[in-house]
Amino acid sequence: MHIAEGYLPPVQAAAWTLAAAPFVVHGGRALIAEVRERPESRLLLGAAGAFTFVLSAIKLPSVTGSSSHPTGTGLGAVLFRPPIMAVLSTIVLLFQALLLAHGGITTLGANVFSMGVVGPWVGYGAYRACRAVRLPFAVGVFAALALADLSTYVTTSIQLGLAHPDPAAGVPGSMAEFLGVFALTQIPLAIAEGLLGVVVFRLLGRVAPGELRSLGLGAAVPAPPRQAAGASGSGE
Amino acid sequence: MTGPAIDVAAWSSPWRWKSPGDKLLLSGGLVLAALLLPTWPASPAVAAVAVGLALGPARVPARVLARAARAAAVFVLLGTATIAVTWRSDDGGFGPTVTGQSLAAAVDTLAHTVAGTAAVLLLAATTPMTDLLAWARRRGVAEPVVDVAGLVYRMLFVLLATLGAVRAAQVARLGYVDRRATMRSAAPLVAAVLVRAFDRARRLEAGLAGRGFAGNLGVLDDERPTSPRFVIGTVAGLTVLVAGCLAVPTSGHVPVLPW
Repeated sequence: MHIAEGYLPPVQAAAWTLAAAPFVVHGGRALIAEVRERPESRLLLGAAGAFTFVLSAIKLPSVTGSSSHPTGTGLGAVLFRPPIMAVLSTIVLLFQALLLAHGGITTLGANVFSMGVVGPWVGYGAYRACRAVRLPFAVGVFAALALADLSTYVTTSIQLGLAHPDPAAGVPGSMAEFLGVFALTQIPLAIAEGLLGVVVFRLLGRVAPGELRSLGLGAAVPAPPRQAAGASGSGE
Repeated sequence: MTGPAIDVAAWSSPWRWKSPGDKLLLSGGLVLAALLLPTWPASPAVAAVAVGLALGPARVPARVLARAARAAAVFVLLGTATIAVTWRSDDGGFGPTVTGQSLAAAVDTLAHTVAGTAAVLLLAATTPMTDLLAWARRRGVAEPVVDVAGLVYRMLFVLLATLGAVRAAQVARLGYVDRRATMRSAAPLVAAVLVRAFDRARRLEAGLAGRGFAGNLGVLDDERPTSPRFVIGTVAGLTVLVAGCLAVPTSGHVPVLPW
């Protein structure tokens, strides 16, 4: 759910840009420090950004009969951490605005705030909270992806409600309208994205344990089988 | 392997050879005009100028603009309809309704969005991303950030092709015949793309290490000089647009509404 160009009043567009800026600058500094320390990591970060962009081309079935794409903010936050996601999301949202006409330039700050800041931090917070109380890894992943998606959608609805207050019911009424309209697709999509994430991590644990360990996600890697003989991996 | 249609159009536009800074001035000026000037007549004027320049001198195919507009349409129409619907609370009870005021606000927003999107598309359909990134590098944006953005741009085509190939294989195996199958297929698709993205990064890293990679991903930067004629034309055109829009008396909303 990207806010299109021209959809926000100028002052609010500037305010959301200012709100997102510290997170993007912090993420940018984290990225620069990471790249200076390990120059080769820019390749992995490039791959991560391209992967986040490509997620928007994957369609999930929606309750309305149409289809929608996962936001990828929760998945990115668990894999790459929220500070990096702030700057990667900015790059990806800029590319989506220019290459796909999803979003806009003056609304980039608002979109970055919802998808690059709130979504990843809420998702990562949920993941850490689940891990802290020793819930299974899959529960943490589900909570991260579903809540990242939901919080992104709630934030966008708040942004739209503030920008276009209802003549009769004001800002709260307008927020309720936007929440209601987008809930039809976003709540099922959040659940679908959470379930998708669980299966994705299960598959990654099987086919790419090295990558997950390098990202500090050893918990997703299944323990080695007790009986190696006769064990065969099933195809994807 | 083909990428997004806007990107393909940007590479083949005759305006590709103009300075990205010049095009940013034009597109940015139009975006600001659409955002800051009174909606009527500024938004239709900005949309007409942007589309006219894109289809005319920039020679962007009309179908590319139409496809891009279709991509933005779902959010815009849903959002606009939400603004048009308001809540009434009177003797007849409480419920949704459409009033002249709410409809005017919705039409204003729609006009702003169409004009702004057209102005952004003018830049996107005439300027390849690599030109914009090189311009950003020259203007002092941190090199590692520009490098990562450049890698994202270059790798997304490979990943989109991978995504298409894996998805085609899944479709051939009836992977998307119903909702359950779609969900079952989407997870391996995401995992496959992620694993291939990492694999691609690892292979690039190995290739660069073999060439003595020292942490600088510099590429040839074919800097385009600023065209004084283009800049003067842009400033003059924007000045006329602003003056013309401010000269027209307007309330800022749709001039005539039947209710």
